[in-house]
Amino acid sequence: MSITFETAKQHQNDPAVLCCLRTKGTIISASDLEDPSIFPDLEESGLLNIPEHGLTIGQVLGATLERDADSMTPLTPELVSHISENQMDELESEKITTSPNTGEDPTHETQVIRFNIDKLVGQIELPPGLNVNALPFATTASKKAEDKVIRTLTQRAYPVDQVCVGAETSFQDKVLTIREALCEESLKADPLVKNVELDIIRPEDRHIYSNTIMDVIPIATKVEGILGEGVTHVMNGVIVVLTGVDEKGIQVHEFGSCEGYLDEKIRFGRPGSPDSEDIMIRVNVTVQENTGMERRGPFAAHKACDSIIQEIRDVLKDAPADASTDQKVFRDWKKSGKPRVILVKEIMGQGAMHDNVLLPSEPAGVIGGRRNVDLGNVPVVLSPNEVRDGGIHALTCIGPATKEVTRHYFREPLVNLMAEDEEINLAGVVFIGSPQVNDEKSYVSARLGALAEALDVEGAIVTTEGFGNNHIDFAGNIEQIGRRGIKVVGVSFCAYQGQLVVGNKYMDAMVELNKDPEGFENEILADSTICPTDAERALIMLKTKMAGVPIEPANRKWSQEVIDANEQLMS
Amino acid sequence: MSLTTVRGLKSEIFVPITPSLVWASLDKPLSECTVAFCTAGGVHLKSQKRFNLSGDYSFREIPSDTPASGLMVSHGGFDNSDVNKDINSMFPIDRLHELEQEGFIGKVAPVLFGFMGGGGNVNKFKEETGPAIAQILKREGVDIAVFTGGCGTCHRSATLVQRAVEAVGISTIIIAALPPIAKQQGAPRITAPHVPIGSNAGEPNNIAMQTAILKDTLVQVEEMKTFGQMKTLPYEYRQNV
Repeated sequence: MSITFETAKQHQNDPAVLCCLRTKGTIISASDLEDPSIFPDLEESGLLNIPEHGLTIGQVLGATLERDADSMTPLTPELVSHISENQMDELESEKITTSPNTGEDPTHETQVIRFNIDKLVGQIELPPGLNVNALPFATTASKKAEDKVIRTLTQRAYPVDQVCVGAETSFQDKVLTIREALCEESLKADPLVKNVELDIIRPEDRHIYSNTIMDVIPIATKVEGILGEGVTHVMNGVIVVLTGVDEKGIQVHEFGSCEGYLDEKIRFGRPGSPDSEDIMIRVNVTVQENTGMERRGPFAAHKACDSIIQEIRDVLKDAPADASTDQKVFRDWKKSGKPRVILVKEIMGQGAMHDNVLLPSEPAGVIGGRRNVDLGNVPVVLSPNEVRDGGIHALTCIGPATKEVTRHYFREPLVNLMAEDEEINLAGVVFIGSPQVNDEKSYVSARLGALAEALDVEGAIVTTEGFGNNHIDFAGNIEQIGRRGIKVVGVSFCAYQGQLVVGNKYMDAMVELNKDPEGFENEILADSTICPTDAERALIMLKTKMAGVPIEPANRKWSQEVIDANEQLMS
Repeated sequence: MSLTTVRGLKSEIFVPITPSLVWASLDKPLSECTVAFCTAGGVHLKSQKRFNLSGDYSFREIPSDTPASGLMVSHGGFDNSDVNKDINSMFPIDRLHELEQEGFIGKVAPVLFGFMGGGGNVNKFKEETGPAIAQILKREGVDIAVFTGGCGTCHRSATLVQRAVEAVGISTIIIAALPPIAKQQGAPRITAPHVPIGSNAGEPNNIAMQTAILKDTLVQVEEMKTFGQMKTLPYEYRQNV
């Protein structure tokens, strides 16, 4: 299929190959050439061999074909004459064309020059006293663009040095005590929960066996206002780790596993995982047999765990403001005059443990939220502050290296980076589920496209956790945004094991999350999830694409060197 | 306001294009064909070793005289509620025997296959598992092999094995809950009922639906004449998870 002038310009250094039969004497233009993006496949299947001395598209445009040649013929110096070295530059001048003026005043009939200008940025200053009505264009009053704060969230941090089990739940002088009877009482959360145990694991005691990790949950509570605004208290130096098994001893919630020794099965310090100095409160839940791979079993475990955390939240609410050692203030902005963008976070929504609670009453809680599976997996917009205040409780934690746990959303690097960036206006964070049924996948993707259009954004970053069937949604989500002319960047773990199962032409600016040397889901919790460096690559790629600067196509196979080279270019 | 940009950035993830064609035409009527069934949905005998849920390219031979009650699933890529209720929703072994008794097909192959395609290693499935299963099916004189996937990467693994089986001269078809994956991975023939992953062969305990999906799929093996064709089937089931 022939290509357009714009495509030729983009591929001016790629090989020139005829798209169709052309006769001797043809002056070669873009419409005579094949699209270079399909060459790798043609070469792989033996349909095309590009000789070393083949000419580039930039060289052949405007040159003359010296004899008849068939489609798929690579152009060489023997086949064409009048080859140019700087053909594309000359061709730029083709875009300046002349035409008779058909304006209203015939006495001024002359020729005008018409320019095609890709982009015009800046302003024209007019001298004082000028009659603006005489100008051939409308002027607008100069108005200084002002950034507005929409809402503010204050997070007060309370350090925890010691956690113990005792008669009453209390929090004083950096010591958290958890009431012993809480585990027994948490069985009431759901009849499928058969047993709950809790233990405290200090950083030096981590070489300890554990059932598979279902979630990592921060302890935080609202003191003033609702999720995303007001005041939240957060415990630092302590984290809840939920693990589970069924009555028959079979690991629950698994598609991949991080059952094993905690020090070996967690990549400490990732946004979602425990930090190296964190004390872990491990809540191990036993659910009714054979419910570990059904939606109800894992959810029951999360409810039981949340009921334990709630009692801790209640004592954290009473912590005095002056006992807090650190205070962070997060703001949701409306930034005038800066390009509007969205962050799309694709989350799992296939049932079983592939589900999430959106907007619970308490940060990172369960109660009060709605699950995306129940919402039909349609896109739901959260403000950056709502996400940072624990607006997502993840029920998904299988394929442990590539899934985003609750703590991940609490400290999501892309949300923070995009919300704080001075050059863009993050209009919102859109959560969209990955449904179980193929028809529903295209349904929700189409709604995402409509939402992006209605929000009038210029750019979007789409991320997905996991890999496999959700890549259908991932491709669909990117396509629905891209086809509306919105610049889009995709972010996912793919590498070797997760290589894409589907794709489309809008997926031309992609960021790889893999951290495993062999490119596998290595079953180390949170290893290949979004880290700050991935977030930076994604945002710079989006800005680059929005500015019209080309991004080179991907290699055919995953290689770490490409990622390293991109990071090098940014440093 | 200008944007900070970097020249020379390269996209980090390859976006695939459909692989080459593989095709074995069917040269006898269904009523004379030996039919096998293979699933990537993690089905095996209760007495066999469970699959490693984080990626496993081994396979289990399932004697076709095994009662449905002797089978189970080990798979974490989809909600197990439906297969726990009725294994035929993924692996319609009872329906196959009924089609043999009815004379709709010649006979059920003596051995059927279960593997767990979730997170599957592409090269292992392409170069080892697929050809190994193909050889056994060839030896048993199988004419048609019907596949189901399970989760997303299961559809990829199922299609890789399907292509290996087609390559030894057996006509194959996949009943796909996620047809875009089967299509992109190069499945020779595809039927697509409106079913969720986890009940790829139809609603649990709905014998009429399971039979119709299987029959329509087998008919398509006769009717499809070119590589990569897909037929949407008019059966819809939504799982109430």
